[in-house]
Amino acid sequence: MEPLKVVVSGPVGSGKSTFVRTLSETAIVDTDAFASEPIGKDMTTVALDYGTLRLDGQLLYLFGTPGQQRFDFMWDILTEGALGMVLLVRGDRPQDFPQARRQLDYLLSRQAVPYVVGVTRQDKPPVWGPEEVALYLGQPSEYVVGLNATDPKSAVKPLLRLLELML
Amino acid sequence: MAIFGNLNHMSLGDLLPLLSVQDGALEVFNLENHPRVTLYFRDGLLQCLFVAGRPADSLVARSIVTLLMSSTRGSFEFVPGAPERRCPHLLDWPLDRLLITVVSVQDEMRELERRLPHPETIFRKIRDEMPEDRRLADFWKRAQGRLDIGASAQELAGRMGMPLEHAQYYLFKLRQAGLVMPVRARAQRRSMGPSVAARLIDSLKQRFFGGRQAWNH
Repeated sequence: MEPLKVVVSGPVGSGKSTFVRTLSETAIVDTDAFASEPIGKDMTTVALDYGTLRLDGQLLYLFGTPGQQRFDFMWDILTEGALGMVLLVRGDRPQDFPQARRQLDYLLSRQAVPYVVGVTRQDKPPVWGPEEVALYLGQPSEYVVGLNATDPKSAVKPLLRLLELML
Repeated sequence: MAIFGNLNHMSLGDLLPLLSVQDGALEVFNLENHPRVTLYFRDGLLQCLFVAGRPADSLVARSIVTLLMSSTRGSFEFVPGAPERRCPHLLDWPLDRLLITVVSVQDEMRELERRLPHPETIFRKIRDEMPEDRRLADFWKRAQGRLDIGASAQELAGRMGMPLEHAQYYLFKLRQAGLVMPVRARAQRRSMGPSVAARLIDSLKQRFFGGRQAWNH
């Protein structure tokens, strides 16, 4: 069986690296570097995060994309041929929503990739819920899932929804 | 009286009030990656604009004036009483109003910078209705044919000869007006069958919930 690839995308600080780390059964490969501009944290992903999951003999690659806009050429490269995409956005940072919408619009207009949106930090109120974020992004509510990226049982929800939407 | 100089010392915004009281042609040249622009003024109106000797329609003229307003590289020279060339796209724009419009559009674009769509996001027309805003209407008329099949800001900017961020701005505004939407490629491709998806779902539930089904409760 050929490995399948799930791409995890979203603005800087949306929880992509945490999400991959939480779900991966192998030690993740990350490409963190000191941020060269003020983005609200010291380290950031500059190429990709990579983790794996083996499900019933099927190998699943988890690829996290860099969130900074100047790495947007990586979004396309990583999304090509993917089983699906999880776009994460931090529910307690509405100022990041325009960037998330920009990224989602761009990727969906270019690639026919199945997707879901994950709204992180649901365990840290006050936070936008998935229904409100779906309204903002103009997405059907079933395409938007709330989660806490540090908790495996919660982090797996977007993956489950992604697969359910393929049934 | 001679009016000449460099845009890094005097912006077009500073020049326009001077030009509103005299007739003639303003030549702007040595611009960064842009051909020579000639603007004809009469009776306090911008009558006509030429780029590399070719007349610009109102949409392109508006973009070029906005571009010139923010340019800091380029030379200018005003030729008083220069005879007006035949003008196929008569603009007749009052300079005071032009100045206010361009400055407010520049401010708005600066404000919207992070919200403008990605240059390569493809938009498609979803409603056939002329926008009320004249600037949007000009863009709409020229872009409609392309937006029928789907086009990005990058493509439209190239075809219309306008700066990329202007095309991004117009698409952003048209989207706000409910006239265009990004193309959604959703469900056009399915890379695996439902049975594989079901198998993976079962396996994920087994792994993370010990097989319990109520993961989403």
